[in-house]
Amino acid sequence: MNTTSASIRLDAVSKSYDGRVMAVDDVTLDIQPGEFFSLLGPSGCGKTTTLRMIAGFESVDRGRVVVGGTDITDVPVHKRDMGMVFQSYALFPHRTVAENVAFGLRMRALPKAEITERVKAALALVELTGYEDRRPGQLSGGQQQRVALARATVIRPPVLLCDEPLGALDRKLRQQMQFELKQLQKQLGVTLVFVTHDQEEALAMSDRIAVMNAGRIEQIGTPAEIYERPKTRFVADFIGEINLFDGVGSSASAIRPEKVVIGAPGNGGLPGRIETANFLGGHTLYRVTADDGRQILVKETNIGDRPTRAIGEPVALSWDPADMVQLEG
Amino acid sequence: MTKRTISRRTVMQVGAAAAATFAAPAILHAQTATLKITTWGGKWGEIMKGSVLPAFEKEHKCSVSADQAFPFVPKLQASPKKDPIYDVLHTNSNEQWKCLVEGLVEPKLDTKKVPNLADVYPYAISESIVGVSIFTSAIGLGYRTDKGLAKPTSWKDLADPKLAGMRGGYLIPVNSLGQAHLMMLGKIYGKGFQDLDAAYKALEQLKPIKLFDFTGQMEKAFLSAEVSMGVIHDSGIYRYDGQNQPIDFAIPKEGVPALEQVLSVTPGSKVKELAYAYINYMLRPDVQKQLAEGVWYSPSNKKVNLDAKYDARLFNTPEKVAQLIQMPWKWYNERKDDIDTRVARILKS
Amino acid sequence: MSARRFDAGRAGYFALNGAIVTFLLAPIAIVAVFAVNPTPYISFPPVGVTLRWFEKFFSSEDFMNALWLSLQVAVAVLVLSMLIGAACALALARGNLPGARVLTAFFMSPLMLPAILTGLALFQIYLLAGIGRPVWGLIMGHTLVAVPYVLRTTLAVLHNFDRRIEEAAAILGASPVRIFFEVTLPLIRPGVVAGGIFAFIVSFDQFPISLFLVLPKGETLPVVLFNYMKFDLDGAIAAASMVSIVMAISVVLLLEKLIGLKAYVKL
Repeated sequence: MNTTSASIRLDAVSKSYDGRVMAVDDVTLDIQPGEFFSLLGPSGCGKTTTLRMIAGFESVDRGRVVVGGTDITDVPVHKRDMGMVFQSYALFPHRTVAENVAFGLRMRALPKAEITERVKAALALVELTGYEDRRPGQLSGGQQQRVALARATVIRPPVLLCDEPLGALDRKLRQQMQFELKQLQKQLGVTLVFVTHDQEEALAMSDRIAVMNAGRIEQIGTPAEIYERPKTRFVADFIGEINLFDGVGSSASAIRPEKVVIGAPGNGGLPGRIETANFLGGHTLYRVTADDGRQILVKETNIGDRPTRAIGEPVALSWDPADMVQLEG
Repeated sequence: MTKRTISRRTVMQVGAAAAATFAAPAILHAQTATLKITTWGGKWGEIMKGSVLPAFEKEHKCSVSADQAFPFVPKLQASPKKDPIYDVLHTNSNEQWKCLVEGLVEPKLDTKKVPNLADVYPYAISESIVGVSIFTSAIGLGYRTDKGLAKPTSWKDLADPKLAGMRGGYLIPVNSLGQAHLMMLGKIYGKGFQDLDAAYKALEQLKPIKLFDFTGQMEKAFLSAEVSMGVIHDSGIYRYDGQNQPIDFAIPKEGVPALEQVLSVTPGSKVKELAYAYINYMLRPDVQKQLAEGVWYSPSNKKVNLDAKYDARLFNTPEKVAQLIQMPWKWYNERKDDIDTRVARILKS
Repeated sequence: MSARRFDAGRAGYFALNGAIVTFLLAPIAIVAVFAVNPTPYISFPPVGVTLRWFEKFFSSEDFMNALWLSLQVAVAVLVLSMLIGAACALALARGNLPGARVLTAFFMSPLMLPAILTGLALFQIYLLAGIGRPVWGLIMGHTLVAVPYVLRTTLAVLHNFDRRIEEAAAILGASPVRIFFEVTLPLIRPGVVAGGIFAFIVSFDQFPISLFLVLPKGETLPVVLFNYMKFDLDGAIAAASMVSIVMAISVVLLLEKLIGLKAYVKL
């Protein structure tokens, strides 16, 4: 597939629906061509609005949207040449699978033979050959999502937008689709903007992630950076589990549970007692109450036949100071 | 393919119909005057549309728009008085009185404009009539001849206990015959037509009684023997003449209320001369004979010579006409609401 | 014990359903018997079978003119009320109109007013405006009471309409006009057509509004039947009713076949 992917630049973009509360507040983003970029955050953080402004479904109050070097802020949706996959699939219920996939090509007035050819290829790519004449209502959720993917990618868009595309699928199917989507994106080389509230999904799939909160971007970085070096209390708290220690003023420090080491008491370290133990298969999550009263989570990998520690067992906690991150705000 | 042809044709025809409607009034105005009248349906309507009205249109080089769709009076009431929907109103006497009170029709006609008025029986232009009565029926008793009943001679015969559940009357609020019958009961059982207390009491005695909206339903009830004796106008029985039906009409000795076919002119009519000409035409002996023999109505014009069969039964001599009773409709209309309420109570329980 | 109770409930359920169906169909059965019975009045059991009333109906110029007019008017009302009803429904559901709720109530109001008053009011307006009583005036009167049916059914479909489907079409390159014809219209069609069928039947059976708006010699079938009944009550009325019923059913089937009512929209 010879897709030419495009860069996306949001330049100080703002949007308010009621004139008072900012849905998106001064967001600046630079997404590289061919990048898998996720907008991650809780519901209402502005991630979907941001995506819909890129698509053109929402107008921009302030700022510019630039795609592939062209300012498209005032270009109507149907002239933006993007692919989009919706959480509800949004397939055309009155059309067959093949007609759904052909829709964008038909709008581009391509020759009939080429349309047939490309629909066939697109369906083969999502492994739906033979389903051409079914209607969406006759397909499973996963199949519908693959049709939606084929429909969005068959037009070879420089940009593919995904609004919680896997949100309606069950866990197992979801993991499979994550893998397939990532593979497809790499195969097509398309720039993909992925909106999700699921941090695991974002960490697993993205090249980079922008964590959003209350209309603003908290942090942009690779999954490892976001996870290992969260910059703000919000990011630290939102991504995975973390132990937060309040510092002076609004500053705080934090450490991930798996970075904390449990040792025998008396050899230095922070003394405390095991409060609870949750055996989670590959590891066990302990809640330790330190002697100074702080509650600390510790994740210990289960190696060999090490038994689960007993409740009440006295321990001493230690960590590499380099693993402790300083948070702002 | 066929489907498409059908739908397209339908659309075109609807379009053509709409276009014709737009065009039609303009053409009529340009060429001829239009006389707007009301008239009955049924056999009467057939004769009117078949020959009577076309002949009039030809004679007067006009067109007649004849409304056969009830209710006439509400439509007249709703239309502007200066440009009424009808020029000539044909309806029963009670409705004519209602219209007169509301100023919707002219009270009297002038012999100079309607010369044939000179030849009608006095009842047709009496004080009881608005405009002119062109025909009348007689409200009497119909009965089945195969039920061992003696031919009734008095209105009181309807109260015979043998007839319980087999006698027929009308929903008095909506039917002129029922209203006339009620007043007749006041006359026979009390001090006069206006003795409502006596009438109510007598009505009570007629229960159980089958009630109908229209005379047409009463006719069918006679034919199907659902009713053995009931209140009906002579034409409603005579129209089955020659069909071998075991039914007959009786004229009670106390007299028969007249069911007049009354024509009047609306004050706002733009074609009054034509309206008078139409009434004069309807009173002409040849027209009167044709309609009288067609529907068994007694003609108002004294000069009509009916065929023997009709001559024997219809009210067309001074002696026979003397049996007709004209009802005080103005008086009745004034208290109609009270009467309706009272009657509904009597006939419900 | 429990088995017997279950049976009793089941029997009761069937009995109740049977009673409802009987109640609904009894009038049609009586009319059907009346229509083929030789006597000019309803007699039970029927004394024979005849087609004379159908013959009378079909050979009467008055009845045939009225039937044809009623059909033409009903088809016009069907088309108009679908256009107006669908447009209103789209405007009300999509237009961000201030007071859309009040407007919806306004459009539904012809259903709340006794039709006879609507008829009388239109009659007066037409006469005062000097329009007279043209066929298009009658069609407008019928359309007035038919539009709410289309509005209702279309609004119901629009209420459950996933607008993301239209957005998907837009991002795939469809202009607003193409979206309307390729996506919106096909998806609301079942609602519009269902309302249209109501509209056709409302017009074809319309009596109270027609009562005032028909012209002499331009009367619709229900008006002609009503007036016929006052003078000649016989089986021709029943025959006319049977023809009307068959006609209404045919139209429903025809529309079903031509346009399709099968709702593929997930409601």
